[in-house]
Amino acid sequence: MANVPWAEIREKFQAALALSRVELHKNPEKEPYKSKYSARVLLEEVKALLGPAPEEEDERPEAEEGLGASDHTLRLPAEVVEAEGPIAQGAVRLAVIEFHLGVNHIDTEELSAGEEHLVKCLRLLRKYRLSQGCVSLYIQAQNNLGILWSEREEIETAQTYLESSEALYNQYMKEIGSPPLDPPEHFLPEEEKLTAQERSKRFEKVYTHNLYYLAQVYQHMEMFEKAAHYCHSTLKRQLEHSAYHPIEWAINAATLSQFYINKLCFMEARHCLSAANVIFGQTGKIQTTEDTTETEGDVPELYHQRKGEIARCWIKYCLTLMQNAQLSMQDNIGELDLDKQYELRTLRKKELEEEESVRKKAVQFGTGELCDAISAVEEKVRYLRPLDFEEARELFLLGQHYVFEAKEFFQIDGYVTDHIEVVQDHSALFKVLAFFETDMERRCKMHKRRIAMLEPLIVDLNPQYYLLVNRQIQFEIAHAYYDMMDLKVAIADKLRDPDSHIVKKINNLNKSAMKYYQLFLDSLRDPNKVFPEHIGEDVLRPAMLAKFRVARLYGKIITADPKKELENLATSLEHYKFIVDYCEKHPEAAQEIEVELELSKEMVSLLPTKMERFRTKMALS
Amino acid sequence: IPEGGTGDSGRERTKTFTYDFSFYSADAKSPDYVSQEMVFKTLGTDVVKSAFEGYNACVFAYGQTGSGKSYTMMGNSGDSGLIPRICEGLFSQINETTRWDEASFRTEVSYLEIYNERVRDLLRRKSSKTFNLRVREHPKEGPYVEDLSKHLVQNYGDVEELMDAGNINRTTAATGMNDVSSRSHAIFTIKFTQAKFDSEMPCETVSKIHLVDLAGSERADATGATGVRLKEGGNINKSLVTLGNVISALADLSQDAANPLVKKKQVFVPYRDSVLTWLLKDSLGGNSKTIMIATISPADVNYGETLSTLRYANRAKNIINKPTINEDANVKLIRELRAEIARLKTLLAQGNQIALLDSPTALSMEEKLQQNEARVQELTKEWTNKWNETQNILK
Repeated sequence: MANVPWAEIREKFQAALALSRVELHKNPEKEPYKSKYSARVLLEEVKALLGPAPEEEDERPEAEEGLGASDHTLRLPAEVVEAEGPIAQGAVRLAVIEFHLGVNHIDTEELSAGEEHLVKCLRLLRKYRLSQGCVSLYIQAQNNLGILWSEREEIETAQTYLESSEALYNQYMKEIGSPPLDPPEHFLPEEEKLTAQERSKRFEKVYTHNLYYLAQVYQHMEMFEKAAHYCHSTLKRQLEHSAYHPIEWAINAATLSQFYINKLCFMEARHCLSAANVIFGQTGKIQTTEDTTETEGDVPELYHQRKGEIARCWIKYCLTLMQNAQLSMQDNIGELDLDKQYELRTLRKKELEEEESVRKKAVQFGTGELCDAISAVEEKVRYLRPLDFEEARELFLLGQHYVFEAKEFFQIDGYVTDHIEVVQDHSALFKVLAFFETDMERRCKMHKRRIAMLEPLIVDLNPQYYLLVNRQIQFEIAHAYYDMMDLKVAIADKLRDPDSHIVKKINNLNKSAMKYYQLFLDSLRDPNKVFPEHIGEDVLRPAMLAKFRVARLYGKIITADPKKELENLATSLEHYKFIVDYCEKHPEAAQEIEVELELSKEMVSLLPTKMERFRTKMALS
Repeated sequence: IPEGGTGDSGRERTKTFTYDFSFYSADAKSPDYVSQEMVFKTLGTDVVKSAFEGYNACVFAYGQTGSGKSYTMMGNSGDSGLIPRICEGLFSQINETTRWDEASFRTEVSYLEIYNERVRDLLRRKSSKTFNLRVREHPKEGPYVEDLSKHLVQNYGDVEELMDAGNINRTTAATGMNDVSSRSHAIFTIKFTQAKFDSEMPCETVSKIHLVDLAGSERADATGATGVRLKEGGNINKSLVTLGNVISALADLSQDAANPLVKKKQVFVPYRDSVLTWLLKDSLGGNSKTIMIATISPADVNYGETLSTLRYANRAKNIINKPTINEDANVKLIRELRAEIARLKTLLAQGNQIALLDSPTALSMEEKLQQNEARVQELTKEWTNKWNETQNILK
């Protein structure tokens, strides 16, 4: 032992570590693993210099061998055994080298060799794993084995290793707690050893990674809530240890909010989004210590892009919350149901009482100042469903604010699809607000705003490249005109003296709706303008619905001219007939539009008789 | 030596995958042998046809290096693969059509590479702009790569020359496992413009054919080579850099779980990468023809990679799904129509001779309208008379 050349060992080890940290893309293009191979050579040399693995009297490799990997790792140590004395020290140092060799092999896609080294590392350390000198290394070795097994697609094995690490960390922190040695320290002279603070920082980073790996495992095992919880914890820890990039952290938190929105957990979503705002605001103001994640030279553009993206996450929050409220308060034809509204109001009291307890259970970001800053944002936004127009309007205005913010970055020239999606969200905000509005004229105006923002979008779009988007917008505009028409009819109904003016308006809206349904149907034609014999599966239902609506629209044109009336009825009948005929030729279509088909059949049988009566009347007058 | 083909693999457990076609070409003497010509006839002719009809087409090739991917796509001299045959099909049809003066054509190609999510023009001499071209979307032009060079071609010879030149510039890298492992995706795009007269009106159609050579290893791209997020696969990413991807995947997955029937996106998930999907957006749905070719090796030492390729292709098949139109509930309309039908039935049953107007609103409104119109006519008449009088006075 005395002849061990420590200086040489230390030097080689440090060099190996440095090489291991070289980023792969810095290697020559044709030799991406060059730095890794060089590191490996040095590590093998150090291993040779350290000498063979020390023999242990009470080691029973046979008995240990008999157990499976899972049994081997799961059992928590009952007691702390410090790695003291030359034999133990030797084992630990060797374990460090085995660890780095293991990771090295994994990084170069040599999994079997990697596994061998890591398992050896665990075996050497097993006795001492709860000690201050070894716990970090043991956890890291287990974590890497977890990663390795995931590469082999044996996710349960990965889970076992990672959960074992998690348990060991918790046990260590509970029973001992003092910041453990960072593995490379075993090759450092006394004077260069780390401070307690630095040790703690590194150890916590190891645990944060542990949680992150578990998040991925749970995701692969489709335990999504658990995965989200672990992601949430990872983010929280990043903040606590100031180990984050503000832009990156903010977008991650904002994205996590979308998970919560899907689960209708609006309080958690609001918390993530508010935190995202606060942390994003820190950009440029704090020192970043983490490895750069973004491509160099793109940072200013990225800042604006992320800002726009976070805005879009907020838009979805406002929209989904409002839509969720609508869903729970609408009757069977989509109008506000006063009874349901009343029920929800009563429920609201209960929700407010439970608020505190729900909040305590959720994962909260930050402490102290940060916590206050986040709360300040949260306070301005509701998380409970809006129950009336006033409450809905608040959310609407917030959503609209973020629409403008999103459009700053997502301009149509450059980001066509994104820009359009933002405008569609804006339209959806108006639509859902209209649900809460009681005055029909004002509702009409909201639909008008929608049309005004959607129509210009398709004027400049190349229909070949943006086929789906075009169709989607045409459909939406047509529906909006239809809704407007219905509203005007309802308004006219209430008037004592409807004049030709309002009738003209109704007919114009009717015409506009038809125009857009027709545009949509025309988009289905082939380059020779022939309407397809067989309508594709992806557009079948919308196409049928468009025909159905056009049929209905012809039946709703108001005219005093009996000849015109007859014409309209005939055209209406034609469209209903198309639907019936098509469904007969294509039974799969019948399944798509059961109800509409049934009604079309009825109309096909009733309209001819009606038209006949009409003709009779005309002949008589 | 050509190897490659597809088929079911078998070890201790038999794994089955389903595809639209399966071609075997490891042994030329086998009765099941499929030649390049046959592959072209089955898959390639449709691509040519699509282009002439004005649709986009996209051919993906995926497979471990050495499994026959290059052979299938490019072939050797004397035994040309899919791409040369498609090009030849295209040009011969162009020549035919031009001979009969039916239309005029313009064919341009471009060739780019995506490596580590950066886009590089493979057909441009070394200049400052070779790496990291920006990908944008233009309302009229669709998705495009800024500053990507375009080259006019007249025949397959031109195309071949450019392909060869581009291939030399491709990034290949040596790792311990595999000496020539291609780690980049390459997209060769043929932009095909037809100008013809459609009953006296000039009409121009543009179609794009993308030939995509996907990177040899799944590791080359964290989200899977098509750029579409693959939901299976059990890899753990080491670096916290990918935390965003994990969270994005969770947001995506929770969306599907929440709305299995509705294909609408309820939330916004910022996509971090997939330059590939972005560029091929106009070809991954709608009216395009998409073909994916996965090549595997019959050698048993490649079992692992073969399985991986088959799994991958199987997933990709389900992922390249056709997006659809979102529609609103039709309930209100249906209820109204039902009411009208009921009304009609009653009225018809009564054998009423009076004109049947469906909704009471229309009835009352029509009546009122008629009254009002009559009144307006009267007023107009009055007014006209008065004006005439005034005019007479003024004369």
